Amino acid sequence: MNSTDPRRSDRIQRYVPLVKNGEDLTPDYMNIMGMVFSMCGLMMRMKWCAWVALCCSCVSFANTQTMDDNKQVFSSFMLSFSALIMSYMQNPTPMIPPWASASD
Amino acid sequence: MQILKFLSIFLLLHCALGNFAGENEFAEFEDFEDSEQNFVEENEQVQEDPAANQFIPVNGENLNEEALIEEESDEEEVDIEVDSEFEHFQDTDEFEGFEEKEEKPLTEPKITIAKVPLNLIHNWDSYYLEILMIAIMVAYFINFAMGRSKNSKIASTWFELNKQLLEENFAMVGDDGSKERNENVNLVKESENVYTLWCSGRTCCEGMLVELRLIKRHDLVALIANLMKPSVDQVHITVRMSKEDMDNFVFAAAIKKTALQITKDLQDISIYSPERKAGEKFNLPASFQVMSEIGEATSAMLDSKIIAILNKYPEYVDYIHFSDQFSGMKLTDDINPNPNKMPDVEKVLRFGFNLQTKGVPLEETLTRLKPLMSMVFYCMDKVKRYRLSREGKLKADKNRQKVEEAFLKSTHQARAEAAAAKREEKKRQEKEKILAEEDPEKQRRWEIKEEKRQAKKRAPRMKQLKVKAL
Repeated sequence: MNSTDPRRSDRIQRYVPLVKNGEDLTPDYMNIMGMVFSMCGLMMRMKWCAWVALCCSCVSFANTQTMDDNKQVFSSFMLSFSALIMSYMQNPTPMIPPWASASD
Repeated sequence: MQILKFLSIFLLLHCALGNFAGENEFAEFEDFEDSEQNFVEENEQVQEDPAANQFIPVNGENLNEEALIEEESDEEEVDIEVDSEFEHFQDTDEFEGFEEKEEKPLTEPKITIAKVPLNLIHNWDSYYLEILMIAIMVAYFINFAMGRSKNSKIASTWFELNKQLLEENFAMVGDDGSKERNENVNLVKESENVYTLWCSGRTCCEGMLVELRLIKRHDLVALIANLMKPSVDQVHITVRMSKEDMDNFVFAAAIKKTALQITKDLQDISIYSPERKAGEKFNLPASFQVMSEIGEATSAMLDSKIIAILNKYPEYVDYIHFSDQFSGMKLTDDINPNPNKMPDVEKVLRFGFNLQTKGVPLEETLTRLKPLMSMVFYCMDKVKRYRLSREGKLKADKNRQKVEEAFLKSTHQARAEAAAAKREEKKRQEKEKILAEEDPEKQRRWEIKEEKRQAKKRAPRMKQLKVKAL
């Protein structure tokens, strides 16, 4: 081995992922928000809530870690979809946005 | 074949019978149709009756119904009565000017339109918000695909450009941490915008972790947020130094914004070098600030070569941070798993570089980073060679001892409480163990022993009281 060569194959250490403190918490927050909005959509038949839940699920999906479990994102999507479908099946009228219902 | 034959015969028979029946099928309804025709003719006659044909406005419904009922039930009677009672209707003198009045409509009929529920109106224009939401979703996913491919392109280009340099310096480039080592692992995708690369097998260091933290191009919401608060693509390099290859000191140089942030957030800088000095004092660009624990180490680190590179690429360097006490972010009591123990520290060299991809071709930007990558290896060798003077070493050791003492002092009460709780728990477990045993003699002995121990504990206090009384 050349003396100027800095490489040392005997000093190879395997990668140990560190537990990061400053981890990106966006997907977790979005998951919770999606769940809350889905519940509002399901229980109170507020269509805009169901749509917002779907948006939250999309953001959560985009920001999720590759190593993370995809079940959470999947369940979030299912919940928001079911909120959307249930609210439109029961009352197929167009969505009333929150600002319009507030002014009524 | 036989089955087919049988089936075809059956079908033929069925059709023949069907035709036969079809000829006579409606025969029985012929008389009925005749009678119905008669009935329709009768109805027409009834409708021709002027009294029944008269238009009755809104409130005349009941009257009309009554009239119809009367007509149906007492048809014959009416015929007779018309002859006798309504004879004067035939008299033209009785109705002078009557026809003229009838021609003019008295009042216009009031039309009331019932409210039709909204859901019966299938007008797509009213669903504009839904269409807007679907359009947003579509735009989000298109942007997701585009942003993802852009980030992946940046990462792979960076790797291609630096692959040779990394392979010249490390025996292993790329590892995903899985049990079986895979030779073909390069960049590991942590998320859509974070890529990592672990290199190991070099003198003076345990390994080097490269993190490419790119803009969240795949997330439309983050892109909009980025317009408000602009950020850039960054390369973070963390070199884990071997314990014997680095002396004890903390030093950092960063642009003002990052300097403020790291003095607030990082445990080691906030403790050992919280003071931020202007970069001009160390011949660095004015945008830089220096945080130094030991002056001689700082001046040794900022040698002419490093100063020249920092002056040449000031917009590409975010921070340089060398520390023997690196423990990551400051831990608050809420997230600290073990507040009574000093956090584990390691010797690291950290570098943060900016990738200015706006307005410059990607390849050119990444090529400009090459001298900075070479600087990383230069710093590793330099730190390995550098040794603090005796005074410097004493000062560094004193600082570390002081920090440890302050920590022990601050956690003294908590540690005492923890020790007491542990003792109590041990005693309780012992008692439970004795009580669980079936031998009463053993239990009695333990109780006597325990009583004695309690008495012994109380005894010195009593003595002290006696002394005080004397």
